[in-house]
Amino acid sequence: MSTTRAGSRWIRADLRARKAQAVLTVLAVAGIVAALITAATLLEEGTNPWRSLSAQTDGAHVWLYTDDSPDVSLSGIDGVSQVAGPYRSVPVTVAQDGKKEPAALRAMPATPPKVAHPVVAEGRWLDPAQPDGVVVERSFARTLRLRVGAPFTIIALSGGRHTLYVRGIADTAEQGFYPQWTPGLAYVLPVMLDRIEPMLGRSEWVTGLRLADPDATQVVSQRVVVMLEDKLQRVYTWREVRAAMELDNRLLGTLLGLFGVVGLVAAALALANAAGGRVLTQLRDLATLKSLGFTRGQVALLLLVEHGALGLLGVAAGAVAGWGVMALMLGGTSVAPGPVLAIVGGTALVVLAAVGLPAWRGGRTPPIPDAPTAPPRGRLSRLARLALLVRLPPALVLGTRDAFTRRMPAFLTAFGLAVPMMMITIGLGVWATLDDFADHPEQVGQHASLYVRPGKLEPAEARRIAERDPDVAAVYPGTEVNALAPGEARSVRVRAIGASARPYPFPVVEGRTYGRPGEAVAGQGLLDLLGVRIGDRVRLTVGGTPLIVRVVGRTIEPDLDGEVLSVGLDSLAAKDSVPPEFYALALKPGADTGEVRGRLLAESAESLDVQAAVNPADRLSIIRVIIVALIAVLALLGLANLLTASALGLRDHAFDLAVLKAMGLTPRQVTATLVTGTGLLVVLGVGVGAAAGMSVVTSLIDLQGHTSGVGAGIGRAPTALTLTVAVTGVVGTALAVALIPARRAARAQVPVTSR
Amino acid sequence: MTSVVKTVNLVKIYQDGAVPVPAVRGVDLQVEPGEFVAVMGPSGSGKSTLVHMLGGLDTRTSGEIWLDGKRVDTLSESAWALLRRKRIGFVFQFFNLVANMTVGDNVELPALLAGASPKVARERRESLLAALNLTDRAEAAPAQLSGGEQQRVALARALANQPSLLLADEPTGNLDSRNTRDVLRLLGKVHKEGQTIVMVTHDARVASLADRVVSLFDGEIVDDGRIARRRTGTAGEVIDLR
Repeated sequence: MSTTRAGSRWIRADLRARKAQAVLTVLAVAGIVAALITAATLLEEGTNPWRSLSAQTDGAHVWLYTDDSPDVSLSGIDGVSQVAGPYRSVPVTVAQDGKKEPAALRAMPATPPKVAHPVVAEGRWLDPAQPDGVVVERSFARTLRLRVGAPFTIIALSGGRHTLYVRGIADTAEQGFYPQWTPGLAYVLPVMLDRIEPMLGRSEWVTGLRLADPDATQVVSQRVVVMLEDKLQRVYTWREVRAAMELDNRLLGTLLGLFGVVGLVAAALALANAAGGRVLTQLRDLATLKSLGFTRGQVALLLLVEHGALGLLGVAAGAVAGWGVMALMLGGTSVAPGPVLAIVGGTALVVLAAVGLPAWRGGRTPPIPDAPTAPPRGRLSRLARLALLVRLPPALVLGTRDAFTRRMPAFLTAFGLAVPMMMITIGLGVWATLDDFADHPEQVGQHASLYVRPGKLEPAEARRIAERDPDVAAVYPGTEVNALAPGEARSVRVRAIGASARPYPFPVVEGRTYGRPGEAVAGQGLLDLLGVRIGDRVRLTVGGTPLIVRVVGRTIEPDLDGEVLSVGLDSLAAKDSVPPEFYALALKPGADTGEVRGRLLAESAESLDVQAAVNPADRLSIIRVIIVALIAVLALLGLANLLTASALGLRDHAFDLAVLKAMGLTPRQVTATLVTGTGLLVVLGVGVGAAAGMSVVTSLIDLQGHTSGVGAGIGRAPTALTLTVAVTGVVGTALAVALIPARRAARAQVPVTSR
Repeated sequence: MTSVVKTVNLVKIYQDGAVPVPAVRGVDLQVEPGEFVAVMGPSGSGKSTLVHMLGGLDTRTSGEIWLDGKRVDTLSESAWALLRRKRIGFVFQFFNLVANMTVGDNVELPALLAGASPKVARERRESLLAALNLTDRAEAAPAQLSGGEQQRVALARALANQPSLLLADEPTGNLDSRNTRDVLRLLGKVHKEGQTIVMVTHDARVASLADRVVSLFDGEIVDDGRIARRRTGTAGEVIDLR
């Protein structure tokens, strides 16, 4: 009790004396914790929507699409516990705010089924009393900005327009979120569907199978493939739905997680360095405390409490900030308490461990306050001797010598700056990669920037209009079909585009592009999915017709997790490829996408459906915000380190200053000596950090690309100019920060005896 | 009456690399309650080491230390710390005030540490600062004070718990003559009030204030003599006479 009072008074006094440093420490730790919590929540949120939606909707595990009602008993398959459907589904186009979005209209009864029943989030479910009602899947509704009660205009394949009214907005676990997963989904009553699309031939049938064991999807879907044979259009399982739902957030979460973990290491270093530096500058005060009657353990505890409390305060602030940001962004319930608690607990432990060592060291201070606590005086370091040899100014030589007199703090300072600098370099690399996506879309598989669907026009007419436009450089006819991969029991996307003789210019990073019918290129995701390598043959089934191609190259494939096989249009059977579904338009350099789109629409009297390609960089633009925020946090960490180093340097040289002045050094030279001592470590740390960052950045981004299916080959290092600016900026700021206390110290009247 | 402090064949040997450097070589010293002992000697004679050992700031190599009739040389570092809180006050050459704390807090710290309530600590601090004529500097930082003022604060801090032994290591070594006089006058005053003091100094004039002068040379006591003189008046007057 007595020591608590005395100790708390000492802690208060010490914190008052170094407010700025204390605030900086709290901010740095808070920033890291907030980043970690954001990362964990995004990761958790990335994997969770499917899990929770599936639980809420009693979702099916396998979905199959057939061109006729499957007349076999699917519920008889081993492992299938319940069956949803079959429901009739027709493709339509939704016209909303002048835009046209593809949608599937699904017939559902007024009483929701037991299995795979959509969960109404807003409004009500379908009601026979209001046959013009429609329930829209939530992500689709959000993209279209639909509210309950809004009109919902659809255009059937026959061209007929129908206006329905949104009665409800519902969640479902049967497909991914729009627009990553198309078409969008909407439910109507069967009577309404019959009215919209009386032709049974233009519809397909959707059946969901709920399995006793969700891991048995492979076996069950293979049975389905065998049983339904030609009737089967495509099959997909809950794994694909889950993967589709988590795509973007997972990338973000991984990035944040990486920054967060490395940032935590950097924060631990900064804390240890700050606490250690403070202890070193306070050795005399600590000795005095011991001479007054503080025991070794009490001094250690005092330091642990003081520095630990700063860290823990940072942890708490970061937790609140991270939780707040996530609650604002995703809604209050989205933040899982488990990971947050784990992060708070983990970082608290790291904080205590980081300050524990300096605290223990401080506790071991001998209690004789007058004993000199000078730094170990060594010989001139090799570097300093070299500096002398080449006749550098004396201030530089002395500074060089000073930089390394204390080995451990010198190492901590340099390393503590190198880690944030490495992360900054990696962040800049991610930025450069995004820039590259935006500036050179052709390098990420988006050579064409407009996609034209004939709509009401004849395909040949559509092509003519497109080719006539002065800004269109090339027109590639194309079609996308779903193909069944044998043994995989799931469908993959086959994109037929261009002719084998005139291939679409895919960014092929391995092998070569397709050159004749029967050759194909694939994204990393597809290669991983089918377990094939370049040179292997792949056998797929497209609507009953076999498609056998040899994979001759790997492309950068940003769509559908890279699970796309691209072939020439002539590789596909005529029934699938004539007429082409769309035309991909490559524009001339400098052409404006919007302008061309407007012209094409005007030319065709609004009959063409013209869509601009969505650049992956646009989807990932939030990453840029995160990079800026993280660089700010990392800069804080670096600054905290720097202040420690500079304070330590001053303390070690308080005595020397008078001597240096007596020897005839001008105040400016004294300043230069002090700044050199800190600056050398800064240059060293920043240099090493930037070099380390440069050496790993491309492979790190490529690794991320590989695991996300896009494929390696997208990684870009920051340009030499960016890096030079960053390094110069960091070193310049560091020197400026070191200069202020150094100038003050050099001008101060230092009594020789103040030790 | 038991001695306040007693040493028996006290030895301290520093280990400088492989070479043993004896600092104190078999010192037998006995200080009675109320006594004012000055320890003199040239630099390197071991006088600072001796008082550091008496206060437990440094460990002895061999020999015994008795404090108020109890043997203390066998105590652990922590037990020494607890002992110092109530029984020993220290004054150092360079004052050693805690730089971040105000003058008032510096004086209150030992009282709080010894278990006094904040209220009692505050009262004690006020009376001490008033006695030392420092009441108006209570909220100042130590760095704003002159050397003499700092040393007076250090003295107030050392006396905060009415220790049985006040150890002073060159308390005037860093002061000009006017401040030296002020500090010595205070030491004389507390001595007159019955405080036992052991003071290290190499200044004969300062030593002459004491009842008894112990001379050390190369770690051994070479002379131990009482100053046989009836004390009149305060230390200040003694100095003034010279």
